[in-house]
Amino acid sequence: MSDLVLSQPAPLAISRGNSKTGLRIVQTVCIFIIALVMISPLFMLLIASLKDDRFRILADMGSFRAFWVNDPTLSNYREIANFSGELAYGRYLFNSLVILVVTVVSGLIINSMAGFVLAWGSLRGKAILLALVVALYVIPQESIIMPLVVMMSRAGLTDTFAVQILPWVASPLYVFLFYQFFAQLPKELYEAAEMDGASIFRIYRSIYMPLSLPALATVSILMGIESWNQYLWPTLVTQTDYARPIAVAIATFFGQDSIYWDRAMAASVLMMIPVLILYLAFQRWFVSSFVGSAVKG
Amino acid sequence: MTLQQTSAPAIPRSGRRHDRQRFWQEVAMIAPAVLLLATFLITPFLLSFWTAMTNQPLVPRPTPVRFVGLLNFQRVFTDPLFWTSLWNVTRFTVWVLPVQCGLAFLTALLLHQKLPMRNLLRGMFFLPAITSMVVVCVIWGTLFQYPSGPLNQIVGFLSAGAIQPIDWLGDPNWAMFSIVLLSAWQAYGFQMIIYLAGLQGIPEELYDAARIDGASALRRFWHVTMPGLRPTHVFVLVITTIQAFKLYTQVAILTQGGPKESTETVVHYMVRAGFEEQKLGYASAVSVILFVIVLLIALLQRKLLRRFDV
Repeated sequence: MSDLVLSQPAPLAISRGNSKTGLRIVQTVCIFIIALVMISPLFMLLIASLKDDRFRILADMGSFRAFWVNDPTLSNYREIANFSGELAYGRYLFNSLVILVVTVVSGLIINSMAGFVLAWGSLRGKAILLALVVALYVIPQESIIMPLVVMMSRAGLTDTFAVQILPWVASPLYVFLFYQFFAQLPKELYEAAEMDGASIFRIYRSIYMPLSLPALATVSILMGIESWNQYLWPTLVTQTDYARPIAVAIATFFGQDSIYWDRAMAASVLMMIPVLILYLAFQRWFVSSFVGSAVKG
Repeated sequence: MTLQQTSAPAIPRSGRRHDRQRFWQEVAMIAPAVLLLATFLITPFLLSFWTAMTNQPLVPRPTPVRFVGLLNFQRVFTDPLFWTSLWNVTRFTVWVLPVQCGLAFLTALLLHQKLPMRNLLRGMFFLPAITSMVVVCVIWGTLFQYPSGPLNQIVGFLSAGAIQPIDWLGDPNWAMFSIVLLSAWQAYGFQMIIYLAGLQGIPEELYDAARIDGASALRRFWHVTMPGLRPTHVFVLVITTIQAFKLYTQVAILTQGGPKESTETVVHYMVRAGFEEQKLGYASAVSVILFVIVLLIALLQRKLLRRFDV
């Protein structure tokens, strides 16, 4: 369904009459230039991470040399890609990846099952549950964090992977997104399967899940970015290297008297790679209309 | 459901067993989410109201925790620093809204055309949004270098040296504005996606009709695109406002609320009270206030949307 939407020529908002290809090319080139300017800071980051001398990085920044490196080297990456010691960014990256994968996979299963029951189940009180989910969506993470830290430390979960995963697996937003997605699929689909004697779990797993790639992709991207970028929560619940995620580790560069920009930049590039892969893998199904219609509710 | 009703009288026993089985299956499917939400969202949420009315410290002490009523709230509301932080996030919101939403709207308009490599372009514009705020701080930390960082070079070049180098993060007059710049750059991608969705939702027939009526491109934009995007505008403004009020990470990393408390924010104030001063009850009071603010903004959204008949 999503592929259909994307492959169709987009309806035009402002200009449609420009059928002249010359104008179209100029237009495209202009948009490309704007896009390049927008992401130029990221390009600078990549280039700087390949430079050896941290003082030269800063000196180069103000000129066009920020976009060019004569003798690219991976020495910054080699310095930080350890699994123990002071610069154990290999380990932090691995920690973050574990947290991301477990959160997203379990989140997809748990939230989609709940969304499915809310959409097609026959539980009494379903409407109340749905209203509750919508109401819970309003509560910001920041305003539950104080008691949550105390709860977690009393449960002895400080400095674990579990403490960084469990609280964020189930989310009202994603339950609701799945509910909305399932509810808009045709009713006949469900009734036909039920007539054949399939149980609700079978219907969910064998019929609806294969149809929900756009929803799964969108929630994967949103949840993945959210988990990957968590900062406040892990600073509060991690104290040692054991489960420290890469975001918290990179932030420690700023606590030093003289910032090692070269290492910070190499670590930053490392941190960008996994989400970039996640986005590239799922962007085909990352249908903007799905996000849009879901959040309007 | 119709199936059950018709088949129930014919084979009552198996039908009932089927119903029971189905009931438990549904419960099993919804239980994980319900249990997790109850434990990790509802419980701490309710606890925060209780904790806010006690003098509970972060680390348990031998002295018993006392119920202090609304004392914490009274203290919060009489602390000038709290009002400074509230004023700062308001200032931040007022600045970041036009920059971030404007950027999102313009880029969405650019992308919503018949373009070659549209997905690539969309991905490029979305790139900052998938960049972690910590990484954004590393990048902009170098861009903001004083006195000869890239931004100062650009400003100096454009003004032919007339404008002196700006201490972006160190000058109380500039610090919040600098935070606005990097925040808008990092976050506009999501709003862009929502605007793209809104643009896709406007029926093409409306444009055709307008074209037949001889409306110019500008008039079509003003009389078809803009009214069609009204609910999207409301939604984007509201989520951006809520996001802005929760400002924390970039401030915690780059300025720690300084210089001269010019970038102190409500969440940063709360975290400091809770974890540096270890006053959990007090910090919980701030978190309750934050929730009320967010709730008010969300209610405003519903009201506005209803007015637009969506």
